[in-house]
Amino acid sequence: METAQALTTALAGGKVPDLVLIQGDDLPKFVQQPQNFHDLRGFGAEGIKSDYLDWVISQSTTRNGEILGIPTDVGGMAVAYRTDLFAAAGLPTDREAVGQLWPTWDAFIETGTRYTAATGKAFVDNAATSVFYQAVNQGSQKYYDEAGNLVYDRNPQVKQAFDLALKTIRAGVTAKQSSFSTGWSAAMGQGQFAVLAAPSWMLNAIRMNAPDTNGKWDIATIPGGRGNWGGSYLAIPKRANNPQAAWNYIAETQSPTGQLEHFLVEGSLPTTPSVYQDPRLTSRQEPFFSNAPVGKIYTSSLLGLTPFYIGPDSSAIGQEFLNALTNVEQGAGDPDDAWEAALRNIKTAIGK
Amino acid sequence: MRTVTTARASTPPTAPTRERARRHIAGGPVERLTPYAYTAPFFLIFAVFGLFPLLFTFYVALFDWNPIGERTFIGTDNFARMLEDPRFWNATTNTVSIWLLSTVPQLAVALLLAHLLNHARLRFATFFRMSLLVPYITSVAATAIVFAQLFDRDFGLLNWLLGLVGVEPFDFVQSTWGSHVLIATMVAWRWFGYTTLLYLASLRAIPRAIYEASAIDGAGTWQQFRHITIPALRPVIIFTVVTSTIGGLQIFTEPLLISPSAPLTCGPIRQCQTLTLFLYEQGFGQFQFGYGAAIGVALFMIIIVIASINYLLSARIHGAHR
Repeated sequence: METAQALTTALAGGKVPDLVLIQGDDLPKFVQQPQNFHDLRGFGAEGIKSDYLDWVISQSTTRNGEILGIPTDVGGMAVAYRTDLFAAAGLPTDREAVGQLWPTWDAFIETGTRYTAATGKAFVDNAATSVFYQAVNQGSQKYYDEAGNLVYDRNPQVKQAFDLALKTIRAGVTAKQSSFSTGWSAAMGQGQFAVLAAPSWMLNAIRMNAPDTNGKWDIATIPGGRGNWGGSYLAIPKRANNPQAAWNYIAETQSPTGQLEHFLVEGSLPTTPSVYQDPRLTSRQEPFFSNAPVGKIYTSSLLGLTPFYIGPDSSAIGQEFLNALTNVEQGAGDPDDAWEAALRNIKTAIGK
Repeated sequence: MRTVTTARASTPPTAPTRERARRHIAGGPVERLTPYAYTAPFFLIFAVFGLFPLLFTFYVALFDWNPIGERTFIGTDNFARMLEDPRFWNATTNTVSIWLLSTVPQLAVALLLAHLLNHARLRFATFFRMSLLVPYITSVAATAIVFAQLFDRDFGLLNWLLGLVGVEPFDFVQSTWGSHVLIATMVAWRWFGYTTLLYLASLRAIPRAIYEASAIDGAGTWQQFRHITIPALRPVIIFTVVTSTIGGLQIFTEPLLISPSAPLTCGPIRQCQTLTLFLYEQGFGQFQFGYGAAIGVALFMIIIVIASINYLLSARIHGAHR
């Protein structure tokens, strides 16, 4: 978000860098204004396009086929859970067995009810991020249809994800802690919830927010098995001074081998499926998360995904849905009116 | 944000001296231009960083303006939309509420503290006076993080204390008035020391003899405060009221930081989104520069109106030496 604001200001008239990193959620706003960036086909992007997951690079490709960005990493989806707390609640702790507890989101809520009944504590951090944001990103269509028309108010997949979140709230299994708030960090360290949705980039957030829980976590598959949340792209602004040098950097560092190296050092998930079977990736284990094979878990959540169209208002729409759910979960929001309230707020926010 | 203006008009020179002064400076062209050269840097910088952005905002407000795309002239449509936008009225209410909650107690406490610190027999006076500035020199972000923790629902000190007397934990950030109190506390905390020092500086200028004389006449502390201190402080009170109004109506960082999951709206139902935050959300979150600029113009008008009312009200403090 911050970087998107800085980039906007720079593009609008300031000094632009040669290379910019854009987060996936912010990307559509920039793709809508392709005149601000170099078409990377001019440097030979066409030749390496097939190295990347097609649904990922399609998001940085305009309707006219201009390629504006090269994907550096993706999120992938999984669930992080506390093995010690699961054991105390009489639930299995093995990551395979835990994954089998929740083939669906309904089964996930069911498990939560069991956990809360056994321990009297909350199961999951919150419903808005850990349920709605995950479930809505697993669909084949989100807030827009393939032609770019807004369908957020009539796409049954969105409504379904929203209702799942409401169901989670009603079940009383959430800690009501908004992701990334101070309470959320504190609650994580104290084991006030046992589970949170963890795209690959969330692992670092858990390490930093709850360093004392080292070794008590593990990672299981997400209900529904697959999905992606997050990721970034490198782009070259039109007014860059050294576009060729910037491209050389991209080609060098974002090649399949480059992304694999980066994964091994930093943990960011490659967007190049050719390295997904590489033994160095599949054998990668995270000690903080009970030696979970993160490379294997996250890359398998990415394969066979159907791409959906992300439009310029996608992040504003997502935020309003999130807000409506948070309001029910933490505030005085009426669950029966939450969906309508969200639609009303979206209409005000995006004007359509 | 705040500047201190201490110059006060002295009595106008009488006609003969003015005549002499004019003859004195009416030397060569160099002498005549020198004063302008001295003041020019300020006016140049003000024109570039103050006046131009102000006028340009009025201009941008008339457009549908995407900072990195097209811009279309749409006249007053942004203002029409704004007046019908419930989010605008919500932000206006929040802004006024937070401003009142932060300013009124802050100025009252500062006045009282200044009065106490001015006491002749106070020990370690310099220590107390200097420690007032600590909140002011602490970064806003650090203040926001600490206060957000103090007011936290589950782990906050305040709720822990309330819990000791059997009160259920209260979620300040999620409630409308709770979040306003939280932000107002942060703002007041940051500024009360600064305001106290301004008052104290003025208090020190009041001759002790007046207090002593009034004491001999039988005036108590309260009467001294009401009839000597407050009238003597009139100019600085007006100054602090006007500056804290301008600052209080532009509160931005505190609401931005207390709700990390929805920072630009300060929470899921915009419960503490101020006008500046709404402006920022529209301009830099949604990339609607035109609409953001229109909100800026509205804020400008609101500040002018409220500051004028303030000035008129505080100018009525009686007993002014004129």
